[in-house]
Amino acid sequence: MRELGALVKRNTKLYFKDKGMFFTSLITPLILLVLYATFLRKVYEDSFHAALESAGASVSDELIGGCVGGELVSSLLAVCCVTVAFCSNFLMVQDKVTGAKNDLSMAPVGRGTLALGYYVANLLSTLLVCLGAAAVCLLYLSKTGWYLTGTDIALTLLDILLLVLFGSALSSIINFFLSSQGQISAVGTIISAGYGFICGAYMPISNFSEGLQKAVSFLPGTYGTSLLRNHLLRGVFEEMDEQGFPEQVVEAVRDSVDCNLYFFDSKVEIGSMYIVLIVSIVVLIAAYIMLNLMTGKKRR
Amino acid sequence: MENIIEINHLSKAFGEVKAVRDLSFRVKEGELFAFLGVNGAGKSTTINIMCGQLAKDEGSVYICGMNPDRDADEVKRNLGVVFQNSVLDKSLTVRDNLISRAALYGIAGNELEKRLTELDRLLDFRDLMKRPVGKLSGGQRRRIDIVRALIHSPKILILDEPTTGLDPQTRKLLWDAISMMRKEQHMTVFLTTHYMEEAADADFVVILDSGKIAAEGTPLTLKNNYTGDFITLYGVNEEKIKALGCPYVPIRDAYRISVPDTGAATKLIVENPELFRDYEITKGKMDDVFLAATGKKLTGGMER
Repeated sequence: MRELGALVKRNTKLYFKDKGMFFTSLITPLILLVLYATFLRKVYEDSFHAALESAGASVSDELIGGCVGGELVSSLLAVCCVTVAFCSNFLMVQDKVTGAKNDLSMAPVGRGTLALGYYVANLLSTLLVCLGAAAVCLLYLSKTGWYLTGTDIALTLLDILLLVLFGSALSSIINFFLSSQGQISAVGTIISAGYGFICGAYMPISNFSEGLQKAVSFLPGTYGTSLLRNHLLRGVFEEMDEQGFPEQVVEAVRDSVDCNLYFFDSKVEIGSMYIVLIVSIVVLIAAYIMLNLMTGKKRR
Repeated sequence: MENIIEINHLSKAFGEVKAVRDLSFRVKEGELFAFLGVNGAGKSTTINIMCGQLAKDEGSVYICGMNPDRDADEVKRNLGVVFQNSVLDKSLTVRDNLISRAALYGIAGNELEKRLTELDRLLDFRDLMKRPVGKLSGGQRRRIDIVRALIHSPKILILDEPTTGLDPQTRKLLWDAISMMRKEQHMTVFLTTHYMEEAADADFVVILDSGKIAAEGTPLTLKNNYTGDFITLYGVNEEKIKALGCPYVPIRDAYRISVPDTGAATKLIVENPELFRDYEITKGKMDDVFLAATGKKLTGGMER
């Protein structure tokens, strides 16, 4: 246990002390922030205004602010949980590149403990960054339009935890096969650029072509984004109901921001989204353990 | 002295490449053992098998009487390794590095402080404790690498080209510290190096070529078996040297005559007393031994 504690402490410290790794992991959320600050926010505000007013509903700026803010925050947290997990887990690969892994494996510590040390440290580092980001996001929502309850916040934190567990497990498996700085750069670039799209953070999945929508409905991360959207926008939709917005209008808005996800035309309920995410986490962690057990036999 | 490392008929292949072929040798407790070979000779493969990092194909390996395949953890507790390149975490301080590595051996708190004090006496690193490893000079970093390798008081210290790229002063400091540890703690040192003068100080030398032992013995035996002696003769002209009928090379203000052994040198001197007034006899160098045994020159890791 002491050995595991020492490894977790070392790995966590290394992530926060390595400024390159730390700031690289924040690139995708920062890109998203820039996109929203420069034009996406205005595009969404205008489209919500236009859609609601064409349906005959008059809507306050605060409600629109809460809706657009909720979408921004859910997108930001959804990418943050996965891309930060990937970047902080690159430590596993860097240790192979620098030879630190050889040094660590010279100590009387099992491969399983070494692997768990990386996973737990990655989980802690990513959670710290994402919870920090969540705090900033909630502060932002309090300025633009606050419609959240304590339960919404608790469920959002649960979503963050699940997405971080998912991101850490997925990155552990992918990084397990990497062994050079070039591979780190390649995977880092692909994840940073691509994950925001496939999880529906840069653009709602409802805007994708039908084929692409079907393809991303197989990816568990998509449901993580939707869970965050559902919890961060629940209060906004409740307020719309209370203000007497027609049910079809609210449902159309829910569809447009991916609160409603469809798997081959059948709507995926929130409970099912949790099941998909939890099962995928369990499967990925089991796969990571299997990989480590299989290579536990010495190199042949 | 007991054998602390025993390797018997060790073989290892990577596909078609036979990295180690029927290798057998012994290392006695407390001795400085030099393991020489050009890159690809099989040194690293052997060390990795000894450390339990790599599976062997055939043969047996015993470290402190234990089998690394069966008693991997116990074997690792008895081994300290200084890698060719520093493998400590550059963004962490020396203290953080040593604390995290010591904890992997269950060493912490007062026990760790006591050990650090012991090692500081030998390697003088207390001033460096708060500095990030990445900010240290090459020599300072090497000292910390050795502290890390010794943090758990291993019986065997494996040094994989430990002084490559270091200035002579730092090399001397490191060797002085290693000599003191050998003397005080009866530590066995297993050395791979490209500096032949370091191998010349070893108690026993094994020269590896293409995975096999090309030569082995004490430096003296190897010099006697693989090289001749040299007589450096001063204050004579070349005509007289030529008349001796021995191979020679002119050097600045002298001639260097090659003779098969010390007996032949003595005979030559006794037969030509008028010529040998100012001279010195030296044995061949380890570089000559390496060249004679393998047909290759070992120069800073490059094969020639």
